[in-house]
Amino acid sequence: MALWNKKLYPLVAIVSGLFVIVFGLVMAKELLACSIFLGAVFVWLMLFGCVRPCLRALPAFIAAAGIFFGIFYAATGTFEAGWSMANRFGAVFLAIVPGMSATPVRMTRSLSQVHMPRAVTLGMLIAMSFVPMLKEEIARVREAMKTRGAGSILNLKIFYRAFLVPLVMRLVNISDTLALSVETRGFALGKARYTIYKKERIALSDAVYVAGLIAGAVLTAAL
Amino acid sequence: MNEEKKTAGERAAQALVSNAESAVPGEEKAKASAAVKGEADDENKIFRKFRIKDIVFLAIMAACMLVTGAIMPLVGQIPVFGIVQVCLGLQFSVFPVIGMMKVRKTGSLLFMAVCCGVVLVFMSTVMFICILLCAVIAEVLAALIFRGYKKDGASLFAGIVFFPLTLPLLYIYYNFLYTVTDETGEAVSAFIGADPVIAAAMSFAVLAVCAVGSVVGLVISRELRKSGVMKK
Repeated sequence: MALWNKKLYPLVAIVSGLFVIVFGLVMAKELLACSIFLGAVFVWLMLFGCVRPCLRALPAFIAAAGIFFGIFYAATGTFEAGWSMANRFGAVFLAIVPGMSATPVRMTRSLSQVHMPRAVTLGMLIAMSFVPMLKEEIARVREAMKTRGAGSILNLKIFYRAFLVPLVMRLVNISDTLALSVETRGFALGKARYTIYKKERIALSDAVYVAGLIAGAVLTAAL
Repeated sequence: MNEEKKTAGERAAQALVSNAESAVPGEEKAKASAAVKGEADDENKIFRKFRIKDIVFLAIMAACMLVTGAIMPLVGQIPVFGIVQVCLGLQFSVFPVIGMMKVRKTGSLLFMAVCCGVVLVFMSTVMFICILLCAVIAEVLAALIFRGYKKDGASLFAGIVFFPLTLPLLYIYYNFLYTVTDETGEAVSAFIGADPVIAAAMSFAVLAVCAVGSVVGLVISRELRKSGVMKK
């Protein structure tokens, strides 16, 4: 077992994310205790190599929690309802953070190590790494729409003909090329044997992280 | 002269054919025909093996669902019954239908749900579980009624049924969470119990949105197939 890893072990990250969201949603009504727990988890995650994802999630959380706090405060007239909603959003955004810290490649590696079916790991790898590419494709199609002077995307006919159809067409073409590329790189389905050159290993830091998380949850529940 | 030329041509063609036939030995010929026959048989099976090509396409469709479904953590917290399904119904029916229209194999919908759920699990764990369960139910129904996705109607049916099926599951979840764990019990009525008319109207809206999405997916797939972009 390695002593200290800069990043969390991907499977530990997934499980801890699940734990945070479930525990956070269940405890959301314990206003102060839940807020303290979520704050502590935020700091804990930053200590264990999730600084960037934490800082990325923070503005989104503030915006979403602020809006829904306002809505619920206005609807119910009680401060508690808004606070409870903010706690829920805190749990949701904090649960995403550990997942963001594990790159798709590391995730795939660790899932392959635990003998997850090849189709699932490959599908996950593609689904997770394709998101930025998809955004680029959407931008390209929109650029083409502007060039052609297609009009507003809010018009349903234009949306269908000039945006949706070309986008799906691009996706089909990309998938064909990607499939070919995957096959030429030696990916095979079924029981074909494969080698993992760089193995993901659980470290002492992961154990400390999990222990801290559990201790925090126990304390929150007890208080 | 012309006849001589013609017979010489015929002889050459005959030689070419016989040469080609002799180039494929008996065993190889048998193997090739068996492979073709096997493929044809495979086409008629309910459960067929996935190829890398299928996996890649379904994963890409799952990524589309994922990107467009990123609002789930936001709308998921609004205490209105069926709000998630109304907001996401369109994209969660268009892309799965396109996926099933291209990869006409039992398990395509479930595979998309799994790939999409890997990330969704962090945004809304409950929805992840619901989506997986509903994908299984929709697959089973499509297999029982249509014996797979050979017909376009099967993909359309699965697309329409898939997302609205989450409604009863969510009903159970909300009931459990807000009556068992919450001391006030008011939240239950906020979600469903208070006004059954609203719940029914929302369910109908979800069904309508998913039906529209599925039809759009079907039309796009047919159009792409017609243009030759989408091959089986």
